[in-house]
Amino acid sequence: MKVNRRKLLTMLGISPALVAEARGEHASAFFWPLHHREPKTAKAAAPGAQKIEVLNPRGTPPPITLIPMAPRLASLDGKTVYLVSDGFPGADLFLGQVANWFKKNMPSVNTEYRLKAGGFADDDPKLNAELKAKANAVIMAIGH
Amino acid sequence: MGIPAAPIVTIAFKDLALSNAAKRGMPLQRISFTPHPVWGKTEDQMYAYLEGNDPVSGKPFMKEVIDVLTKPLSAEEQKTGTTTPSVGPPTFADAPDNLQQYFLDNGMTDFMPIILPTQEKVDAMLKGTSHKPNEAVGKMTPAQGAFPAWSYNVRQVAVNAAMAGAPPEYFPTILAIASTGISALFSSTNSLVSAAVINGPVRDKLQMNSGIGAMGPFNQANAVIGRAWTLMSKNLDGGGVAGETYMGSQGNIINYNNLIIPENEKDSPWPPFHVQKGFKPDESIISFFFGFGIQQGQGGRGLGVKPVPHFHEAMSYNVAPFASMFGALFLLDPLVAHGLVDLGYKTKEQLADWLQKNTKVTVRDVRSMLFSMLPRGPEAAQLTDDSVIPKWPSTDAYNFVVVGGQTNPYHQLANMSYRVSVSIDKWA
Repeated sequence: MKVNRRKLLTMLGISPALVAEARGEHASAFFWPLHHREPKTAKAAAPGAQKIEVLNPRGTPPPITLIPMAPRLASLDGKTVYLVSDGFPGADLFLGQVANWFKKNMPSVNTEYRLKAGGFADDDPKLNAELKAKANAVIMAIGH
Repeated sequence: MGIPAAPIVTIAFKDLALSNAAKRGMPLQRISFTPHPVWGKTEDQMYAYLEGNDPVSGKPFMKEVIDVLTKPLSAEEQKTGTTTPSVGPPTFADAPDNLQQYFLDNGMTDFMPIILPTQEKVDAMLKGTSHKPNEAVGKMTPAQGAFPAWSYNVRQVAVNAAMAGAPPEYFPTILAIASTGISALFSSTNSLVSAAVINGPVRDKLQMNSGIGAMGPFNQANAVIGRAWTLMSKNLDGGGVAGETYMGSQGNIINYNNLIIPENEKDSPWPPFHVQKGFKPDESIISFFFGFGIQQGQGGRGLGVKPVPHFHEAMSYNVAPFASMFGALFLLDPLVAHGLVDLGYKTKEQLADWLQKNTKVTVRDVRSMLFSMLPRGPEAAQLTDDSVIPKWPSTDAYNFVVVGGQTNPYHQLANMSYRVSVSIDKWA
């Protein structure tokens, strides 16, 4: 199964054609969940079968406020890129290899490793302040 | 923050990452993917990920990461505004068999047949509470902080209760569950489970089973209330979608209808669980636990001691390997509880105190275990690998519920932590 990004983008007023991987995804009656199998209810009811009406059991999702992406850099040359671990096992070692990759392939890039405090979904105001003051860009990883 | 960011996610979490970014307002967020997993791989293997291609886009991985940070933004990527997602029409009309299939195909069931929630059945359910159909009940999310919480009212809960097959008299208990916002299908890779301990008069009113087979499929209220919790955890918060809002690697059979545990108050030598938490005996209360799961305790050290088995030793022995991020919930047959009283544990508190003092592990063991935490603070600096420390620092980690039909002095134990207790009476 694939995420139905096409439906989601349409819902948000964005052209699905912008996302190449949306091609070939099938339609669903709902935007939520994004996973689904092709509904089979298009088949004809058995002769004499009576139609009944039932209620939708879904809760009410909150409105979505679109967040524009931050401006991009012209290049990473001479820039400081913070490598931020979300705390999942292996993220520290993986980001260490990202730092090695930059050292080997783009030595003008300065990297700084940080572990985000708290659980994976927690905010880290202290780190956020440091990023705002010192980072030109952030690479965040990774989750298992 | 105004700083360009490149999120990197392993391929196993692709759907979760893409859909959650959209739900949080960034439907075109640039995300790069590595093979899965990263955890457990050598540094050379991780470096090979960087030198390889993104398995989703097929592009060289690090080139893509750099593009994420430097490629100019499209107009769509800078779009602002607000939109309200749709969850479909308020009602569906079709032949009953087609509706069963429709609910199943759209992820609204536990993959077993449901009771179709007609207006008539939902209206009957609403008679089980004094609360108005449009009254707000709560908010639920598959994982706090990770997914946006959905809201729901009494009517929306009633639809799910009807689908589970609940008679109206079960509805206050189901509303009490819904009011906590606790999803039974927590979106963790750990295949976590939930339990609810029920105390007070509601157990008798609903003819719940706290005796023989209490935790098995032998009682309508025990089964249906638990099933309603799972259906609510799918429908009221968009949860339980494997690969998107549910990531439990293996899943857990307990998630079908959860651990619903009416305490056997009549046969227990101790005050019931809700009284321990400060409620009155005649209040109907539901208390929630959350953690890794449940296992039998028959293999523990000390159970062969005669004439009274050393249940406390077995309990201590069995929980020592537990992950310390959750505590211990002991489910004791009344015969075990009375045996513990005979051994000198006149109260649950005395038993918790003994277990906290005598259940110990070495620092070496803790360091080698997943999800186990070492003490913090100045004293932690003095610890060596051979230091012996309490399994859990507080007696709060040890909880006891008496349940079972006294066919044998057995107990089960769950690596689960207590969360909260709420009133069922409030929702009558």
